[in-house]
Amino acid sequence: MRRGLLILLLALVLGGCERLDQRGMALMVEPGYRAEILLTEQDGITSPDGLHWAGDTLYIADEGGHALRAWKPGGPVRTLADQSAGLASPEDVVRGQDGTLFVTDDTAGGVWEMAPGKPVGKLGEAGGFPTEGIALTPVGTLLIGDTAGHRIVEFDGDGEQRPLGGGRIAKPESFAWDAAGRLFIADNKDNVLYVRGRDGKLERRISGQAGFSPESIHFAGEDLFITDSKHGKLFRYNEREGLKVIAVFAGEMENLQGITSDGDRNLFLSIQSDLEQGRGFVVKLSRSAS
Amino acid sequence: MTLGEPGQGERTAAGSHRGAFSAASIRWTMRLVGLALVVILARLLLGNPIDLFALLTDLSDRLYLALNALSGRSLLLDTLIALPLENALVKGGPVGACFFYAWAAGGSYESKRRRRSILLLTLVAAFLTIVTTKTVGDNTFLPRPFVRSLPSWHLAEVELEATKTLTYRAPLTGSMANRFEALKHGEVDDTDLVSFPSDHAAFFAVLSLGILIASLPAGLIAALWTLVAIMATRVITGLHSPLDIALGLLIGAAILALVQLIGRRFAGGITVWAAQWTMRREAIAASLAFLVIFEAASALEGIKALLQAASELSAAAAA
Repeated sequence: MRRGLLILLLALVLGGCERLDQRGMALMVEPGYRAEILLTEQDGITSPDGLHWAGDTLYIADEGGHALRAWKPGGPVRTLADQSAGLASPEDVVRGQDGTLFVTDDTAGGVWEMAPGKPVGKLGEAGGFPTEGIALTPVGTLLIGDTAGHRIVEFDGDGEQRPLGGGRIAKPESFAWDAAGRLFIADNKDNVLYVRGRDGKLERRISGQAGFSPESIHFAGEDLFITDSKHGKLFRYNEREGLKVIAVFAGEMENLQGITSDGDRNLFLSIQSDLEQGRGFVVKLSRSAS
Repeated sequence: MTLGEPGQGERTAAGSHRGAFSAASIRWTMRLVGLALVVILARLLLGNPIDLFALLTDLSDRLYLALNALSGRSLLLDTLIALPLENALVKGGPVGACFFYAWAAGGSYESKRRRRSILLLTLVAAFLTIVTTKTVGDNTFLPRPFVRSLPSWHLAEVELEATKTLTYRAPLTGSMANRFEALKHGEVDDTDLVSFPSDHAAFFAVLSLGILIASLPAGLIAALWTLVAIMATRVITGLHSPLDIALGLLIGAAILALVQLIGRRFAGGITVWAAQWTMRREAIAASLAFLVIFEAASALEGIKALLQAASELSAAAAA
């Protein structure tokens, strides 16, 4: 009787622990932000990677779902392209002035082009290598991160390509332009944030800093926002204040991937909870009144 | 009876009655506490009109805030509170000494054998408790109270729910002052995200209760030390909530009771043999007891470090 009671007690205590489990969290180190989950697998995404906000639409490189998706606030998630078009592991996405979407893929390789009213296809012969980061230059050419070649490749719409000089970059994961026309480059293998000046010189802006591994970068105003998938952190960087932690994500929300922002400077973050099982979130960080 | 007079109480009739009375009191207290907890937890799990879980967490938060209010007011007090958190001698030394007292105290052959049986089973329970709390802790994501001083949101199904923020008074000195400063700059240690259950509360509760069953005076001192120096300091400094401590204590007490029961009912022969062996081989047994108590004083930190090193070596060899 006593033994049974004790076993029951122990089972109840251990069983009751489940209610205390918070599974994952977003901790705001910089005050004034409010976090909310926008999209989950219930909304039609799986494990999102790169994000890009353009117009009133959020474009999502859904790595776990092998698809490119789009979402407008209040509407459903739409699939723009998937495995049937050849996508395998969409990494990053960017939209051109004419509405054409370009997507990188580190498994299938190459750059995928989705022009309005045209079928999805690979862009020329360019980028047959595994591709990571993607950005449009001010003159409309594309910059692509070549992981295998440890370089950045620039090519135009005609398929002409050339390596962007400046130096070797172990894993060019993400790019962002500042207002002065300098290119910021995230290398999450060597854990370096590079700045490439207008003169083509590559400078290690942040490197060798413990607890820092840039995954995706995005400018909102003068602030460069940086996700760090290894440490579950969102950083803010500007030349005046340096590098600051904005938020820490942990548990099921630790694996921070892409970042973008809308016109109201709300931040959108993608999180991969389980790439194999196709689980993840898109989270919105908005400025709260308090 | 004083600590300077080992076993004296057991050699007198009065002492014997007192011991029997105390043992019966402890048994009945444990039964009542156990029954109350079963009722509470059953209602907690099965649901009831009043959200008992919310009630308990609210109570825990209030108690935490009241105790944490002691922090950050006096350098002397904060230094004293930090001692058992950072100094192994202060943390586990007194409990270890009480264990050794109960182990080596005099008395009849039979009472000594009984005490050693209890203490040996207590060590088994302590080991199982560490394994259990580690397993539960690894699967329960719950930040420490001092982390909850910053605004945060946690997963609730597929929503982010605002976590109740707890004000935090940081100590003026000690490692917790540094950890809070680091937190404000976004430095969060992985261990700061898994506060439940308190493995220290569970481990030292097992030792103290085991000592209490074996020897009332030594057990009372160990239990008092565990309550004040181990458990209260962890709440005051924001390392654990009272709920972490209470459920850690409950897990430890349940495992101890189970091991003592099983040890007597089903492994009585082995337990008696082991206890008698320690009495035949006093020198070896005392040496081993020293090692165990030495390690217990640091809440098995040495063994954890050794296991970690072995795991790293094994991984390196496999690579």
